[in-house]
Amino acid sequence: MVTHEEILKIANLAKLSVAPEELDGLTKDMNEIIGFADTISAATADASDFDNINGLSNVFREDTVVPSFDREEILKNAESREDGYFLVRRRR
Amino acid sequence: MGKYGKIARLHELIADKKISCTELTTQYLAAAEKENAALNAYVKTTPETALETAARVDAKIAAGEAIGLLEGIPMTLKDNISTKGIETNCCSKILEGYVPIYDATVWNLLKRQNAVLLGKANMDEFAMGSSCETSCYGGAKNPHDVSRVAGGSSGGVASAVSGNLAAYGLGSDTGGSIRQPASFCGIVGFKPTYGTVSRYGLIAYASSFDQIGPLTQSVEDASLVYDAISAQDPMDSTSSGRKELTLPSLGNSIRGKKIGVVKEYFEGVRPDVQKALQGAMDVFRSLGAEIVELSMPSVRYSLPVYYILACAEASSNLGRYDGIRYGYQTEHYADRNEMVCKTRSEGFGAEVKRRILLGTYVLSAGYYDAYYKKAQTLRGTIVKAFDDTFGKCDVILAPTVPMTAFPEHYAAKDPVETYLTDICTVPVNIAGLPGISVPCGFGDDGMPVGMQLLGPKFTEAALLNVAAQYEDAARDTAFRAVETGVAL
Repeated sequence: MVTHEEILKIANLAKLSVAPEELDGLTKDMNEIIGFADTISAATADASDFDNINGLSNVFREDTVVPSFDREEILKNAESREDGYFLVRRRR
Repeated sequence: MGKYGKIARLHELIADKKISCTELTTQYLAAAEKENAALNAYVKTTPETALETAARVDAKIAAGEAIGLLEGIPMTLKDNISTKGIETNCCSKILEGYVPIYDATVWNLLKRQNAVLLGKANMDEFAMGSSCETSCYGGAKNPHDVSRVAGGSSGGVASAVSGNLAAYGLGSDTGGSIRQPASFCGIVGFKPTYGTVSRYGLIAYASSFDQIGPLTQSVEDASLVYDAISAQDPMDSTSSGRKELTLPSLGNSIRGKKIGVVKEYFEGVRPDVQKALQGAMDVFRSLGAEIVELSMPSVRYSLPVYYILACAEASSNLGRYDGIRYGYQTEHYADRNEMVCKTRSEGFGAEVKRRILLGTYVLSAGYYDAYYKKAQTLRGTIVKAFDDTFGKCDVILAPTVPMTAFPEHYAAKDPVETYLTDICTVPVNIAGLPGISVPCGFGDDGMPVGMQLLGPKFTEAALLNVAAQYEDAARDTAFRAVETGVAL
């Protein structure tokens, strides 16, 4: 069973705040979902199966300089900016 | 070209000057305008971009230049595919107002062929959902019955293509998000092999599962679009560079092909859906293919394995949304930590938060080995099981979804029950395989049933041919056109 405290701890790790009135419902949902995830505990797994799921290998390329994005373009999507930087205002 | 290719048909109309590209585009835009109130397939339309491209194609035709097959064909993109200068927000409040400064590679490839973008299509928020109803704009509806969902997460694309509001569209498939809505809406949905289509510019959900692919009205269309978007891309290090044109393979005989029927896929499948699939097996027999019965016990663990791993990847991928560089930012906060927490809590919807929490939980100290590592190991076991199975057959036939499209708001009651609808689609993503959903008839409720055909990695040409042969033989009974939208 996942407790209220565990949910709050996990939420904090995930940088999510949980309102007191949401806590009961969320804990119930998470218990159902984790109970469902627990079904894999019954499976026997061969440790050698762990590696290289998608069969990928490293892709190398020459380290050459290519044009990148314009700083002003990138900053356009930010809520606040100043002197070419993203700005996080202290308090509003 | 085959009988059922929508793209080829429209191409002919434009190339033979029976209709101008501008006129065709105007018809589609008007249809989207008219029908969207009922279908909610589009979250925004892009008439300026569309008409500008159409005018360019018309100018080429007027100058006597030849045009490519996809040139001037009106289409749509799921709203998690980045479009430069056009808002792309994954149907999430947290990306409200975000306008990409670059194009996704797939859109770049199609744009160069003068594809006419009609608009961005509705989807479950961050592609997390099976009904399209976790979208911050509300769900897309099913053109076969608007009181039912279009499916998810690429529900908007499926609804638009099925409802004739776009000739084709691109979606993304992490656990079935192309194939499931295609099945619900009675169209073709193709999820290619992991790595064949670049993910650059696809807003990430679970990177080792995500794959872009087409939703179309025929297998030929899916093949055409796949051939156009499959290319090696230096911007995606998982892009394989293995490329095989599929269109030339359509039309080959499938006599002697072994079609595997894996019994675990049929557990819990609704009887009327089973019946439609039995009918499809008969069609394959009549085409000279052999049906072989097989078993893959490990496939039963696919669903928890998928949810553990996909949510773990999502919790990491969605860590980037902090309100600082793009998207929504909360109004009031005391310090930076509160700003981030409040932004995320107000910006993400309930399902996205649940998945981030599950992902964080399975990666956290004390649980990592029991959940994440175990699931990753089982992922390898499932990969091997598919390898073994493809030693005994050429293609696997399975249901796409154990049921037909459910009524709207049905899915929201219980998260686990909703997850169970993905049971037949997730194994393909776990193993990185190609899978296609093709319409194969109707349920007792009159709603479309989809059949899934799965192949070994990088065998898209053979797989699409098997699907095309079925379609050629069974189209009249398996597919039903919807009367909304552009009738061309």
